[in-house]
Amino acid sequence: MGAYRHFPVFMVTVPLVCAVLLPFLGYLRQKWVPWAAMLPLAFSSVLGLLLIGKIPAEGYLGYELGGWPPPWGIELRVDRVGHFLMLIVCGITLLALAFSRRYISREVSGGRLTAYYVLFLLMSGAMLGFVATGDVFNLFVFMEILALSSYALVAITGNRNAVRAAFKYVLMGAPSSIMVLLAIGFIYSATGTLNMADLTLRIADSRYSEVLIVAYILFVIGFGVKAALFPLHMWLPDAHSIAPSPISALLSGLLVEVSTFAIFRITFSVFSMGSSGLFASTLDAVGIFAAAAVLYGGIMAILQKDLKMMIAYSTVSHIGYIFLGITAMTAEGLTGAMYHMLDHGLAKACLFLCAGNFIFVKGYRRIEDLKGAWRQMPWTCFAFALASISVVAIPPTAGFISKWYLILGNIKGGNYAYVVVLLVGAILAAVYCFRIIYYMFFQPGKEGAWEGESRDAAPSMLAPVWVLSLGTLFFGILSYLLIPSLLDAMNFLL
Amino acid sequence: MRLFHNYHYIASMLLFCIGLYTVIVRRNIIKKLIGLNIMETSVFLFLISLGYLDGGIAPIGIGGADPSRMVNPLPQALILTGIVVAVSVTALALALVILLYRQYGTLDVDRLFRDEETGGEEGEEKGETA
Amino acid sequence: MISLVFIAALFALLLYVVANMPPMGDPDNPTNSSEVIERYLEKGGEETHADNVVTGIIINYRGYDTMGEVTVIFCALAAVLAVLGRERRGRIYAYVDRSRVPSSVIVRTMVALLVPFIILFSVYTILHGEISPGGGFQGGAIVGGSMIVFTTIFGLLESSQRIPQRLRFPLEGSAVITFFAVGALGLAGGGNFLTFAWPEIAGNLQPSLVVWLTVLVETGIGLGGAMVLISILFSMIREEEEIAVVP
Repeated sequence: MGAYRHFPVFMVTVPLVCAVLLPFLGYLRQKWVPWAAMLPLAFSSVLGLLLIGKIPAEGYLGYELGGWPPPWGIELRVDRVGHFLMLIVCGITLLALAFSRRYISREVSGGRLTAYYVLFLLMSGAMLGFVATGDVFNLFVFMEILALSSYALVAITGNRNAVRAAFKYVLMGAPSSIMVLLAIGFIYSATGTLNMADLTLRIADSRYSEVLIVAYILFVIGFGVKAALFPLHMWLPDAHSIAPSPISALLSGLLVEVSTFAIFRITFSVFSMGSSGLFASTLDAVGIFAAAAVLYGGIMAILQKDLKMMIAYSTVSHIGYIFLGITAMTAEGLTGAMYHMLDHGLAKACLFLCAGNFIFVKGYRRIEDLKGAWRQMPWTCFAFALASISVVAIPPTAGFISKWYLILGNIKGGNYAYVVVLLVGAILAAVYCFRIIYYMFFQPGKEGAWEGESRDAAPSMLAPVWVLSLGTLFFGILSYLLIPSLLDAMNFLL
Repeated sequence: MRLFHNYHYIASMLLFCIGLYTVIVRRNIIKKLIGLNIMETSVFLFLISLGYLDGGIAPIGIGGADPSRMVNPLPQALILTGIVVAVSVTALALALVILLYRQYGTLDVDRLFRDEETGGEEGEEKGETA
Repeated sequence: MISLVFIAALFALLLYVVANMPPMGDPDNPTNSSEVIERYLEKGGEETHADNVVTGIIINYRGYDTMGEVTVIFCALAAVLAVLGRERRGRIYAYVDRSRVPSSVIVRTMVALLVPFIILFSVYTILHGEISPGGGFQGGAIVGGSMIVFTTIFGLLESSQRIPQRLRFPLEGSAVITFFAVGALGLAGGGNFLTFAWPEIAGNLQPSLVVWLTVLVETGIGLGGAMVLISILFSMIREEEEIAVVP
């Protein structure tokens, strides 16, 4: 074992500790804070990239914190899927942070600016820890850091609507966290352990299946609120549309996905399914809600007038997609779900950052105002169009690959109704995305709407957007690099 | 009868439901936060009771205490973490309440969310108290 | 009404779970009979050098949870400051001018006398806890409580002079930083992150080394926790004053 076995713990801990050190720098040199905040995330990304190919043959890289073997101490457990998601988290947080530097200094000032970067780093580190941990209580702790920092980041502008949206988020998020804690209590009472790997073994021969089923339901509800699964999504459109754009990108591109991953982890790593028919029927119920989410999110997105609101509802719809992949219970479906996390993270982050560009340069939030936008902001518009194509799932993009596998997985699982839902969802996505593309490129703008001094957004804001949108194309064309190993990992899980 | 033997658990479930009811039904946001705290406390009570042992002693190994009679120390350690988390969430929520009250002049959710549909820019409600 | 039905249904479901749970207090139920607990109780003393097993778990066995926990409390501070902002001088004077609490001499004398002892008690809690070092959070919370009492009676101006911003600012993150430093020290000793034990290097000094590291971590947690609580309190009080101004 080389030094790389220490990498996961540093990927998680270094951003958290640097967040604590950042106020000192803010006190000395306020100007350096945005740059310094990138360092720990870049460090984590490098460690994450160095880990590629280093995951041992048994399928995961375990790390015993404090040197205590797993059921006694806390274990970090990075499997292939977790590593994949950690890389997505590192990449998107780094790009969103790079975008923030110019964008956020207009909306937030003074001491709050440092607080913004502190919370940003805490949120990134917590997301990495949330994915990496192999202990259910540690999962709860990281979930709380994540939740607290995201509540505050939604409210950071201090604008009255933002505070209200944040409070709504707290009112839904905090009870859901408590439900997760109660679920942890339930499974602890039935098994006497908190380590995920140990739980799998003990759940298989536990005598208290009723307790475990209710614990599972509470987990699904608790993480479902964080993941904004359809009937529990009420906080999402407000919070995502009112938060500053880089934060919307993080919330929409990563936070909901990480929470979905938690459900995935609980379902397949902890409960390992199959111990009772009731688990399967819970998952069936989740599938119905997910299908409803796809349709509801799509229809609501079409009805929106505000650009960010539309993207937020599109997220509701796409979370439904990911859940439909999980509930298919086939390797293809799960691969599709994971690949959709990548694609959705890239595309949604890109769309929100593009919306941020429109707001930053012209102050336009309404879809109507985007008519004829390409004349003044061609780069932003083209990036937006590319990301939209991925959202709609048109062939060369990653969105197509992920939806292909989602549909394949559902056909193999015999859920033909969900295949129809997925196709209808794609049509709905086409309606709301192509409307905007049509407005941007083929409609004349209003008088004076796109004139004046200001040109397209600054390069430091365009670069992250373009990296993200080219990412959707890249992972679409080169999907054969990742798909086989993901399929392997999923077959291993099932 | 196992249900009545587990009366600690029943009490904590009852508290959990009372807390959730308060969070959902009460219109005053301070009361909602109180409900949230009741929920948290109920889960703490539940977890602590899980570690109970009939006739148990505190898990402190001094003076030749018998380890087999000690209560389970793990839930106590978890709850210490849980309490800190609960305090942190409450602090943030109260900070938001202060800001909300300053901006809307009310603590009533119905008033807070009434003008949501219209975008919320009009309808200053200063001076009204909840 | 719908919500009442919903809650009643939830309660019934939870009662059903309770009825199917292992009996409480039974030494044979899964929580009390697993080998996890056996090792904690039987070997906790030797392995963590803490007589109080709970302290051993918090600092040693499940140290990473505690590190997450101190990060949560720092995060709460960052969040409150992001939402409300720190207290500032001018505002503090305004507060004192308008709404000083007219408390009697008896109350003021008693509080002034008591606060040092409360703080002394918190030091005791941190360093001695129940039989052994432990209880950093409790100690920090006690200091925070003493400052709440002090601030209610003497006002924000007085208490913020006692614990000025430039004192609190560097100490707020001390919990996370000490934890990380001690964790990295474990790494330097050839173990994993957060390892307290390096038998090859420390040799006979091992037990006292672990105890001192525990004391260091607990002190860091106590100081950090206390400062975070006081900063949150001050930040909120400033806002309280602004609310009072609204006609």
